[in-house]
Amino acid sequence: MCVGLPAKVTDLKDGVAVINANGAEREVSAEMIRDLAPGDYVMVHAGMAIAKIDGDDETQAEDIMNELEDLL
Amino acid sequence: MSNSSAVAKAAAIIQNYDGPPVRIMEVCGTHTHDIFRLGIRQMLPENIRLISGPGCPVCVTPVGYIDEAVWLALEKGCTLCTFGDLIKVPGTEMSLAGARAKGARVDMVYSPIDAVEYAEAHPDEQVVFLAVGFETTTPASCVAVRKAKEKGLSNFSLLTANKTMDNAYLALKDAADAFLYPGHVSVLTGTDVYKHLRDDEGMSGVVCGFTGPEILTALALIVRGLEKGEPFFANAYPRVVKDEGSPDGRTLIADTMECIDTEWRGLGVIPQSGLKLRDKYADFDARKKFGIPPMEGRANPTCRCGDVLKGTIRPDQCPCFGKACVPEHPVGACMVSDEGACSAFYQYNID
Amino acid sequence: MNETITLAHGSGGRQTNELIGSLFKKYFDNDLLTADDAAVLPRPEGRLSMSTDGFIVSPAEFPGGNIGKLSICGTVNDIACMGAKPLYLTCGFVIEEGFETARLERIVEAMAKTCKEVGVKIVAGDTKVAGRGQVDGVFITTTGIGVIPDDVNVGGACAKPGDCVIVSGDVGRHGCTILLERNEFKIKADVTSDCAPLSTAVDALMGVTHDLHVVRDATRGGVGTVLYEIADQANVGVTLNAADIPVDPTVQGVCDMLGLNPLYLACEGRLVIVAPAAYAEDLVAALRTSPYGKDAAVIGEITDTNPGKVVLNTEIGTRTILPLPGGELLPRIC
Repeated sequence: MCVGLPAKVTDLKDGVAVINANGAEREVSAEMIRDLAPGDYVMVHAGMAIAKIDGDDETQAEDIMNELEDLL
Repeated sequence: MSNSSAVAKAAAIIQNYDGPPVRIMEVCGTHTHDIFRLGIRQMLPENIRLISGPGCPVCVTPVGYIDEAVWLALEKGCTLCTFGDLIKVPGTEMSLAGARAKGARVDMVYSPIDAVEYAEAHPDEQVVFLAVGFETTTPASCVAVRKAKEKGLSNFSLLTANKTMDNAYLALKDAADAFLYPGHVSVLTGTDVYKHLRDDEGMSGVVCGFTGPEILTALALIVRGLEKGEPFFANAYPRVVKDEGSPDGRTLIADTMECIDTEWRGLGVIPQSGLKLRDKYADFDARKKFGIPPMEGRANPTCRCGDVLKGTIRPDQCPCFGKACVPEHPVGACMVSDEGACSAFYQYNID
Repeated sequence: MNETITLAHGSGGRQTNELIGSLFKKYFDNDLLTADDAAVLPRPEGRLSMSTDGFIVSPAEFPGGNIGKLSICGTVNDIACMGAKPLYLTCGFVIEEGFETARLERIVEAMAKTCKEVGVKIVAGDTKVAGRGQVDGVFITTTGIGVIPDDVNVGGACAKPGDCVIVSGDVGRHGCTILLERNEFKIKADVTSDCAPLSTAVDALMGVTHDLHVVRDATRGGVGTVLYEIADQANVGVTLNAADIPVDPTVQGVCDMLGLNPLYLACEGRLVIVAPAAYAEDLVAALRTSPYGKDAAVIGEITDTNPGKVVLNTEIGTRTILPLPGGELLPRIC
């Protein structure tokens, strides 16, 4: 239901962030994330940054598989 | 499999599952799309069955909603701003594409906020944004309405069909043995809801991201959880989803919209699972502004999208599937959206 | 010349002659282009290939080209894809009243430049002016003729199981460029159209072998649509390796933003080649030395399994179907 685009914040002004995904740039609303700063990676959906992203999916997969039994 | 040993390990856990047959529902339409795109169904053993759930906003939006939009465009001359996803969904008489062919102005946008800018640039047009979507999408519609109010725009409004997932999970309780919970909805809601479902309802599931490694690790967690036999919950998307969710996002929604009972195609009316604009934004509510008459909306009676959305039949068990109903001429919404279960089944069917 | 095109420019009188003299004759001039009613051409040796195509694009000018360049490339590429050497073109213009003359000149100039690069002559033409609002700027139709060497037999039905599938460069760039230029989704990205004449690239392929089975230029519908056409015509399967498909990272970024697949976006300067696998390396090497083929790559193979379908080996090692593209490309967001 919710296509998300991981992108880097390159600029931030008055609640509007410029985000860059592999060279594709767009302005999106940053009103949902308080402590955003240029250089942060965010998940973008329908013109809003909805969450910060910590790390990549491969590392996350490693962490989960290492702790598999403890997570459940 | 992937080069990563973690992903290979996850795939092995899934493929080596030898317990009793289990049904796992991917609630989110983007999961449905990515699971097909990545060929994940084809790698599952026979005793693991994935079911596509109701998390495609296009699919669960009742026919009457499209009728309302078509009415606004053709009877009131409104300009409709919409996500591309809705363009081909059949209404009782016609889709938005059909209305466009009759002269309606239908403008595709990337964001509801773009629709506000369009309204500002076209003061002679009445612009209505078709606000569908779940918790993930609703904040952008809320920001759009607030901006329109700040700017004092009198030519912008929302036709709301926003939905919330919390109560919908309960309606799905018996549809599957475990759930892949929607990653980007969880960004907003946080994970408490899933812990309640586990503790109070005995429902199991894992919050899942959208890349290959993320879907495989989430499925591996589900397999392990099912093997253990106790209701479980885990967050397999912690790089994006925090336990507390987004309090700011939830406040944004709560300040702009209020909960209502709402109809889901196939699931019927689910209490407190829809949203409408609060009274302070009544001027931006297209239903009030244009006095839209009640529209029942008639779905094609042969279409079984409802049963597909509940997971009680597979898409290819619907009598329309692949015959009267194909992506070029969809009978039901599930054949329209790239996220719809029927469309995915039809397009990805390998011999 | 007036600053804009008027209905009088299409009336057949003095102003029509002025337009022809100051623009079309100036740029298209060659020994076969005369003021007579039709061109008189020497009889070529061998089988002929002939094609026609209408061009409407909004906007008419875009990074990497304009509708003029596109109108020459489109027809030249269609002819070249039959293994033919393009020789002659005709062109018909329908111009909207009020169209800026300087823009028209840029378009005509681009056509002449592309013709010169290819070594093809415009031997006849026609100009009409339509009232404001009756056309969108300028529409161009080109028709072309080329000669096919005797031992060349290419066509969609000739693909055989075991053949390799090659693309001559990264996919989807033209469609992405036009999407960005229209600015409907307010995305900014540095992407240039792949619009290019491909007759030199086909020459380079012919230098390796005349035993090419299919050569297609991927236009509307992109590489994905071409592969489905081939699978259907030859009743074979196509298997692609997702990791081998060249995509410009920025094009991928734009596609990710809108939920689109670059395999379905239009190209205007990309060949899809199906040929015996033994030639794969040499064909790719030959393409890479041609002007528009530096990113050429083998992306898959023809199979006897899954006839009529395109199967994708995914980046996580699974297999799936590439969905058949259908109708209007709609961004997927919610």
